[in-house]
Amino acid sequence: MSDELLLRSRAAEGPLLEVQDLHVHFAGRGRLFGPTPPPVKAVNGVSFTIDAQRTFGLVGESGSGKSTVARAILQLVDIHAGTIRLAGDDVTKVPRRDELAFRKRVQAVLQDPFSSLNQTHQTRTIVGDGITRHFGLKAGEQRDERVGRLLDDVGLSREYLDRYPYEMSGGQRQRVSIARALAVEPQLIIADEATSALDVSIQSQVINVLREIQRSSGVAFLFIAHDLEVVRHVSDDVGVMYLGSLVEQGDADGIYEGPTHPYTEMLIASIPVPNPTVQAGRRALRQSFDNDAEPPSPANLPPGCPFENRCPVAMDICREEVPAAVAAHHGGRVQCHLHTSGPELGGESVVEFITKEARTLT
Amino acid sequence: MTESQLPSEPSGDASPAKPDSPRRRFWRRMFRNPLGVFSMIWFAILIVAWIWPELLATHDPFKQDVTLQRLYEGPSGDHWLGTDQFGRDFYSRVIHGAGLAFRSIIIAMTIAVGVGVPLGLFSGWRGGRLDRAIMWVNDVFFSLPIILLAMAVIIILNPSLDNAMIGVGIAMSTRFTRLTRAVTLQEKEELYVDSARITGLSTRTILSRYIAPNLMSSLIVQAAIISGAIILIGATLSFLGIGSSLDDPDWGVMLNRGRELFRVHGVWQIVPPGGALILTVLAFNLLGDAIRDAIGRDASNNALTITKRVSVAPASTSHAEGDDVVLSVRDMDVEFPGTDGRISQVLEGVSLDVRAGETLGVVGESGSGKSMTMLSALGLTPAPGRMTRGSVQFDGRDVTNLSEGEWQQIRGKDVGIIFQEPIAVLNPAIKVGKQIMEPLMIHMDMNRDEARARAAELLAEVRVPDPERRLDQYPHEFSGGMAQRVGIAMALACEPKLLIADEPSTALDVTVQGQILDLMAEVQQRRNMAIILITHDLGVIAEAADRVLVMYGGQVMETASAGDVFFNPKHPYSKALLDTMPQNHSGEGALAVIPGVVPSATAWPAGCRFAPRCAHAIDDCVTTMPPLEQVESDMVRCLRHGTDLVLADPAEADA
Repeated sequence: MSDELLLRSRAAEGPLLEVQDLHVHFAGRGRLFGPTPPPVKAVNGVSFTIDAQRTFGLVGESGSGKSTVARAILQLVDIHAGTIRLAGDDVTKVPRRDELAFRKRVQAVLQDPFSSLNQTHQTRTIVGDGITRHFGLKAGEQRDERVGRLLDDVGLSREYLDRYPYEMSGGQRQRVSIARALAVEPQLIIADEATSALDVSIQSQVINVLREIQRSSGVAFLFIAHDLEVVRHVSDDVGVMYLGSLVEQGDADGIYEGPTHPYTEMLIASIPVPNPTVQAGRRALRQSFDNDAEPPSPANLPPGCPFENRCPVAMDICREEVPAAVAAHHGGRVQCHLHTSGPELGGESVVEFITKEARTLT
Repeated sequence: MTESQLPSEPSGDASPAKPDSPRRRFWRRMFRNPLGVFSMIWFAILIVAWIWPELLATHDPFKQDVTLQRLYEGPSGDHWLGTDQFGRDFYSRVIHGAGLAFRSIIIAMTIAVGVGVPLGLFSGWRGGRLDRAIMWVNDVFFSLPIILLAMAVIIILNPSLDNAMIGVGIAMSTRFTRLTRAVTLQEKEELYVDSARITGLSTRTILSRYIAPNLMSSLIVQAAIISGAIILIGATLSFLGIGSSLDDPDWGVMLNRGRELFRVHGVWQIVPPGGALILTVLAFNLLGDAIRDAIGRDASNNALTITKRVSVAPASTSHAEGDDVVLSVRDMDVEFPGTDGRISQVLEGVSLDVRAGETLGVVGESGSGKSMTMLSALGLTPAPGRMTRGSVQFDGRDVTNLSEGEWQQIRGKDVGIIFQEPIAVLNPAIKVGKQIMEPLMIHMDMNRDEARARAAELLAEVRVPDPERRLDQYPHEFSGGMAQRVGIAMALACEPKLLIADEPSTALDVTVQGQILDLMAEVQQRRNMAIILITHDLGVIAEAADRVLVMYGGQVMETASAGDVFFNPKHPYSKALLDTMPQNHSGEGALAVIPGVVPSATAWPAGCRFAPRCAHAIDDCVTTMPPLEQVESDMVRCLRHGTDLVLADPAEADA
């Protein structure tokens, strides 16, 4: 108990999760003859913090490294450089003897609701295993009662105690995953594309469950998704990743309404709005970003800004120098030369500038 | 937290029907397989012979005929399988031999599984250099002849069948190590193992309770087949005189004696031991096969095989008129027979029209029948489903009862299909160019050079940079977006009149999605093609569709122009879908949801299929199935339409 109190008090002082200059590299697989290819730089200097009881949304395209950030925090991949702190404690590389304690503090809900559950176990075991491991409560009526209360929390009736994963729909399985994460009473839950595989109508149900749980238990979320629209609705703060870099981060609504990085604006412009009239107007904006360039390989990053070859407003400096992070109007930070060179936007929204530029281009 | 605040999942009626448990399905399939039944009966007999040989044996297997009158006899009433050179009863000796055979299996298997499985688990889980070292040693042992290993053990210890079996066990353990390691390596990458690690479970728990159960099925199959091999090896050793003593009722020893004697005393001397041996080895292999088949997935469940259409009842409404109608479907029913004899109607009375130059968006949650509608309209109803009612016209021609051969002509040439996973459609082993050229050569009568030139043109049309070079690349060299462009190029290859796009952009990044939709619109304009766009994303519909078909529970709920569906939806389901879009959520508070889940096709609600989840349902909706009614140029299936029901949100209409 005293440990927990200590943690709480520390949490009150600083952020719950603090990721600083995180680098994750995957070694290239060498051929039998010939040189070893360069490592894939999946995460390339990412820093962010999550306060207790808050939700940080991490958004980006496939290959942006957002899931690797999650796996690094969860100790599932080796970290090349950087530090991760949880309520002040260094958890960059958790030693084996501390692993159990760490697992109790950080839990996860993973993407695929089918393969993330063990097909051979019933819900009572899937959710109950963690209770046994962390609270020493053996399988039986008492543990079932506790699992049952968790099922209440995620909106499943107790009949689901003896269901197998293959007897449940995607949404129901994801609720079981959430109950499993909640079972150990963690401080942080990482939701990695937890709702991406679900229908929109079911996705909203699951998101509401997550919000309600945060309200009642105070757990913090790292919510990872490729859909900025969903991330915005779930998160207090948002980070936008591109090719291993966190190119922009800050207040969720602030970013959505006034993005300061052209990539963020590209993401927002690409979301089709369910309104034909509005969407017809947005199409032109989206098309201003259209070029057939593909993102560079994370094994062979360009010397300058990684977004340069897809950016509609790239300048000479973008090809040469990696932009440094500067303060943005939404209270966060952005890595883009537009704020210090060229138009010198100084952390303001790029929307107006890009719209104007796009018009002069076409 | 109170119940009412929570979007809760209803249990009971709306939840999917509980399917057969895997265990019950396993035994049902085992008993349905005649070879499996044969092997199980044979083993039942052998097991009785092993545990209680006196129950089956008619004589003492060691009792010799001291009178020397009844040696080398054939089958008779007293000696069912005849007698051997000492006048001992063959039948009883074969029965007692079963015990020796099982003893061999148990010794060898205990060692093989006991060493092989833990070693494979450890090696696969640890990975890295240690894994490679273990597997290197394992492979050395794997390549040694089994009999050689058995002999080595006999030399070190002393000659006996038991000691020989220790050697066989060591040799066989290498098979289990390989198998276990392969499964462990594969399962280790699965998300559920990650989940277990995140939960904090110990490695031992993960290996024993997560990975081992998934290993079990392949292990049992392997064990059955290896047991057969062990019996054969035991017999071989005995045959060579290395294993059992000459007096033992060992099948191999008996076989050897029979071989020495049959030239003089007739071929019968080798039949009883040889027959027992062959039947047992055969039974082990058949058992292995039967178990594998019983565990395996039902291939016919997923395969896209086409069933013959039989007696399709005619549609009760007439097709849309006009030269520009490309595809017209009326009153289509599609049924699937269930495993328990119940029939599930996956589509009911589906009607749709799509005209040249028009994009029809088909929208609905998963399980609503969107993809099934397209497959069935094109004669691709997956087996064992079949179309039982309705009428389909393609390009003015009645195609309802076409044979598969006739359909192939139309589908290959006049219909192009784009799938959700572009990479899955491309054969990874064949160059992309060749895959685009193939349909051109079949359907357009082009020669190689013409087809190649056209393929390059097509790639250029879908804006794949550097098409000539790209033609000679393999699918894995394409990103998701580029692969989908290739998919579109292939679909466009034969100048189709109709392009069907089943979630074409769902698997792609949002920034690429727009490019693909733009590309489709561009090609459509150039070729005046009809497009059917299946998607669950109303944003995509708003971007690309002219008309919209809203499906739910295998039925059409509403068809209307895109503008009407968004600004003046007539069906509560259309409205509910719109409301759940996060973009339509304003301010704080919970997101709008459609409570519950899509019902399964085996348990449709009696009345309106959407009624259990509908915010506007009245008592009649639960009991009466609403008809699909024509309202001006649109159609709607709702009892409350035209009454006091108000769905449209004026604020949205202004937007």
